Amino acid sequence: MNSFKTLYTKANRPLQKVGLSPISVVAFILVSLFPLISPNEYYTRLGVTCMLWGTLAMGFDFSIGYINVSNWGYAALMGSGAYVSALLNRYFDLSPWLGFIAGAAVAALLGLLIALLTMKMDTMFAALLAWFVGIVLQNIIAATPEITRGSMGLNVKVLFAGGQSGKYYFYTMFAICLVTFCILRIIVNSKYGLSFRALGQDIEAAKAVGISPLKYRTLNFVISCAIAGIVGAFYGHYVGVLAPTTLGTKNVVQILVLAYIGGRGSIWGPLLAGFILMPIFESMNNLVEIKYIIYGAVLVISMIFFPGGICKLPTKVKELWEHRSSNAARS
Amino acid sequence: MVNILVSGTLRGGMYVLIALGLALVYGVMKIPNFAHGEYYLIGAYAAYYAFAVFGWSPTISVIFAALVGFVCGAIIEKITFAPLRKRNTGDWVTNAFMIGAGIQLIIQNGAQYIFSANYFGVEKLWDGNFKIGSFNISYDRLIAFGIAMVTVAVFWLFLKKTKTGISILAVADDETGAMLMGVDIKKIHTITYALSCMLAALAGGALLSITPAYPTMGTAPNLAAWFTVILVGVGNLSAVVVGGFMVGLIEVASTYLLGAQWQSVVSLSVIILILLFKPNGLFGRKAKV
Repeated sequence: MNSFKTLYTKANRPLQKVGLSPISVVAFILVSLFPLISPNEYYTRLGVTCMLWGTLAMGFDFSIGYINVSNWGYAALMGSGAYVSALLNRYFDLSPWLGFIAGAAVAALLGLLIALLTMKMDTMFAALLAWFVGIVLQNIIAATPEITRGSMGLNVKVLFAGGQSGKYYFYTMFAICLVTFCILRIIVNSKYGLSFRALGQDIEAAKAVGISPLKYRTLNFVISCAIAGIVGAFYGHYVGVLAPTTLGTKNVVQILVLAYIGGRGSIWGPLLAGFILMPIFESMNNLVEIKYIIYGAVLVISMIFFPGGICKLPTKVKELWEHRSSNAARS
Repeated sequence: MVNILVSGTLRGGMYVLIALGLALVYGVMKIPNFAHGEYYLIGAYAAYYAFAVFGWSPTISVIFAALVGFVCGAIIEKITFAPLRKRNTGDWVTNAFMIGAGIQLIIQNGAQYIFSANYFGVEKLWDGNFKIGSFNISYDRLIAFGIAMVTVAVFWLFLKKTKTGISILAVADDETGAMLMGVDIKKIHTITYALSCMLAALAGGALLSITPAYPTMGTAPNLAAWFTVILVGVGNLSAVVVGGFMVGLIEVASTYLLGAQWQSVVSLSVIILILLFKPNGLFGRKAKV
């Protein structure tokens, strides 16, 4: 047991520099093996869906869990990334791979605009303005059918053609997911992460020690939006059809539920929740309205009764364990 | 021109009613009630059932809508916000916002499940027309506007003159102080939330002939109410009355001049300008961070 512990700490140190830990490395390796054992195309694509929403939930958690800003336009930012990449590909024949970068850039710019306007104020304003921007973007897309085909839906060139392309998508998304995870973990463990946490917990105290809310919150928000943009661009080329409803609040809620069940302020919690919950959500697709009623109920109940989410479970278990062993020692 | 002014004012009257509830709940309970538009929806469905299915008179239907809104508001406050307040960890405003979002999702999709996505509209609550020059206004709109104004006036008197109203204002001003003076905070919170829902439901009921009841009908008034509140400054109750009319005029004018699909773009531009130059709103009093 002891040698295992030293081994763990030894392996942990170099890995931590790139934002990983032994557990997450093992988890990622297991995930990367999934296409080899997946019985058919459907399950491979389900894996892509899990990673896609999990990555979005990580990006969302980066804002809500650290600086306490609920980005209520997250689906709109994702959708704008998707539309930008798709439209560039359609009209200028830009390669989808460059489209990922373009999508991320546009989403980051939008995020910068929202952040500069609202980050000096209460976090509520950022949520509201992002929501407004999302509704306006939906209306603009619907109002310009000659460019975006409006609510008829835009057909997007897919990244990989063919019936057995699931594993290519899987590894593309896996790369995006892994890189996002590493970058976010590195930032969170750096001194920036500390500042973000300080701002999220007590803004007055953070200001008193010289952390500028505008600067750090904007930085955080823009990074989070860029992730939405890049995943959105992938989403467009993966699903192959986009409509204004992609930008709607229903998608935000899906991300939000993952982030809250996963637990705020951990990055890994929301990703794990993506893997656990998305298969369940996908299997509920034929329930239509009931699915969203369940989302709402889950959101309200978890907000009130389990504010910590999955990521607090290990600590809880540990606490219980220590409590029991200390009891046993006493008796 | 007269056209824009008249319909802007009529629409603005309703926004006053909806935004007043929103501002009140934020001022007293610090809840950014994202589900506010959903009570408008509840009011519309209730009025539809009272008027078209039960065959009650229009006045009673609208009052029934308001009552249903009040009861729903009280129940929802008791089962969500009250327990959250007790167990809350972290930032209350963000958490309350999320709960509101959950409630919105439940009510919206619940309505779609129960009533399907069809439109439930009535042709007229009150018959007749009113002429200004060459411009016709139906009695429906005029009476709805009258109801809105009377309600706002009565509500104002209620806040200023009755004991409950004064307690509500006291809690908004200083919660701990009010508690020390013997105000039952829990009761006041429930009443405030229920009243705010009642105002929204009343608006939904009174406007039934203009906007039929359908599951996503709450989004537009929700947006307009938030627009109003940000425009005049959060937590500023009396200025909401002015702000509601301003929003009504802006929306009608932009719809008339640019077309309905660009109306929200104009609204967003106004909000961006406000946030840039007057972040506390047009009539904001104290500076916030």
